[in-house]
Formats: sequence, C-alpha cells, structure tokens
Amino acid sequence: MADEFAKGFGILVTAGLGWMTLAGWYTTPSFEGTQLIGAEPTAATFYDTIALLLKDILFWFAILGALTFWVVIPAVREARRAYEGEPES
Amino acid sequence: MSENDTTTDGHETATDGGQEAAADGSGIVAPDDETPTWSERKERTQGLSQLTYEYFERARREDQDLRTESDYVERDVLAFPVWPHEMIRNLALTSFFTGMIIFLSAALPPHIGAPANPSQTPAVILPDWYLYWSFGLLKLGPLNPELSLLGGKKLMADRTYGVVANLVVVGFIAIVPFLNKGAARRPVEQPFWAAVGVFGVIFAATISALSVKNLVPMDSHLLFDLTFLLPFVGGFLTYAVLKSMREGYMFELNRRYYRLRPPK
Repeated sequence: MADEFAKGFGILVTAGLGWMTLAGWYTTPSFEGTQLIGAEPTAATFYDTIALLLKDILFWFAILGALTFWVVIPAVREARRAYEGEPES
Repeated sequence: MSENDTTTDGHETATDGGQEAAADGSGIVAPDDETPTWSERKERTQGLSQLTYEYFERARREDQDLRTESDYVERDVLAFPVWPHEMIRNLALTSFFTGMIIFLSAALPPHIGAPANPSQTPAVILPDWYLYWSFGLLKLGPLNPELSLLGGKKLMADRTYGVVANLVVVGFIAIVPFLNKGAARRPVEQPFWAAVGVFGVIFAATISALSVKNLVPMDSHLLFDLTFLLPFVGGFLTYAVLKSMREGYMFELNRRYYRLRPPK
C-alpha cells in the first residue's frame, strides 16, 4: 500500500511542478491578478502551442495518475479479493 | 581458572561458582519415566494446552512469514556510521531542495512589486500569513457578551477581548501535552484526541480566513458562523470515522495473536 501511495504522490508532485512552471509562463498574465489559470495567449507560435498542450497533459496526468494509484488500483484489488472470496490479509 | 578446570569423568565443571556438591550430580533429581520431556510438553494433543500451543505457534509462524516476505534486513549493529550512510542521505535531501530552489528561481522568478511609499499607509494591512489566526482572534467582537448584569455593557472592550482570546488559545495548546501524553502511534488508537487535533487544524484555517474576511468572497456573517461551526463538524466527523474504524483495527491486531476467523 505504501508503494502505491508513493507512486501516486510522485506523479502528483512531479507533473504538478511541470504544470505549475508552464502555467506560470503562459497563463499568468499578471502577478497582481489571476495566476496560473489565467487566459491563454491568443497569438501562439508553434512552440507555444506545444507547451500549452503539454500543460494540459501534465495537469490531467497529475490528477488522474494520483487517482489511479490511490483509488482505482486499490479498489480493483479489493473488488477482486471480494470476488474471489479470499479473506483480507 | 586452573583450579576450577577439574573435569572428571566427563562431568562439566560448575561455572556459576556454586557449591561443589552439585558438580557430581548428586543434588539433581533424575527424570523418571513419568516426567514429560520438552518435546512431549510441546506436543500437547488435547484441551487448553493444545489451544495455547497453537495460539503461540500460529503467532510465531505469522511473524516468521512476515519477516520472510519483508525486504527489511535485520542487522545486528546498533547504528549506522555517519559516512557514508547518513551523509549520502543528507546530501541527497540537500541536493533536492537546493535544486528545487535553483529551478524555481530560474523558471519562475518571483514578482517584485513597486517600491513601498513610506508616506502613505497601505489600504490593506495584514500580518504574515502564519499569524493570520492571531489576527483573526482580534475580530471576535460579536462574541463579546453584553452582560445584563452590567446594564447591557460589555465586561471588557472588544480589543481586550481579542487579546484575551489569544491567551485562551495559546493556553489550551500549552495544556494539551499535560492532558494527553500522546502514547498512541496512530489516530485510530485514540479517536478523541485525533478529533481534538483535527478541530485545532480546521479552526486554525477558519480563523485565518476570518482575519482576511474582506478578501474572502463570502458573506462575512456566514464566514463568522462557519469559523466556529466547521471545526466542530470536522471534529465530530473525525471522531465518528475513527471510532467506527477502531473495531476493525483492533480486530486485525488481535487476529495475529488469537485464532479468530474473519466473519464471512
């Protein structure tokens, strides 16, 4: 169980750091107002488009990856254990 | 030691410095046929003795299996040397945090605002964020009772009341270690004190939010009510969850020592 927690936590903080960096570059128009979730730049170059796509990928990877290791995999194991009728160890 | 090394006829020398009379075996009652040997005592085949033996054998076997499955290596040393074991770990941690500081300062340089104008008082005056709770305690004016005994007057001014509230909170935090020594290793072992801890954490957050109520997008009266309601809700929820978890936790704990069957 501890291993699964560490995997999910590693995904959360690593991908979250990448998302925070890219969001600080591209979707933080001003430090006085909305930060990290501001409006995306309209005039985007090719590299900007890639970075914005990567930002969204990292954001959902952080959330879904952590949920996978913390919720989905343990739930599947519990369900399989209950289905096979084995006692909890 | 030469005078004690009197080994004769294959008898072992008494090494405990006892009476010499025991050395020849005359004081020892020889086991007769009715005395059970140790292997016979272990092989109890009926009744309570068998049950007791099975309990301990099962517990021992489960511990052995856990030890076999674990990748933890038992070493018969008292500690590890500073170099390389401790130093490698410390260097790894230091490198991580240094690298994180360098990365953040390079990738996300902090915003430097306009220089402060010393001749003008800023519109919003706030302490540092870790003192918000104390700042929030100064805003407990609505809780200051208007005593009818004093003719509807308050016993003390609102600002005095806020300072006294600080003393109450700090005093309670100082008293907690004397009320509970903290012998539990897990919250589930002492649900009440875990609930007290959750109450304190939530109250620290809500009273901090109350201190910046001008900036919180919420009705200030609702925020004031939630400040004192949410800690109790969180505390009661924690107590209920941990209290209901404790039975299963104790069951798992006992199952290793007693031969119980999990309920189907």
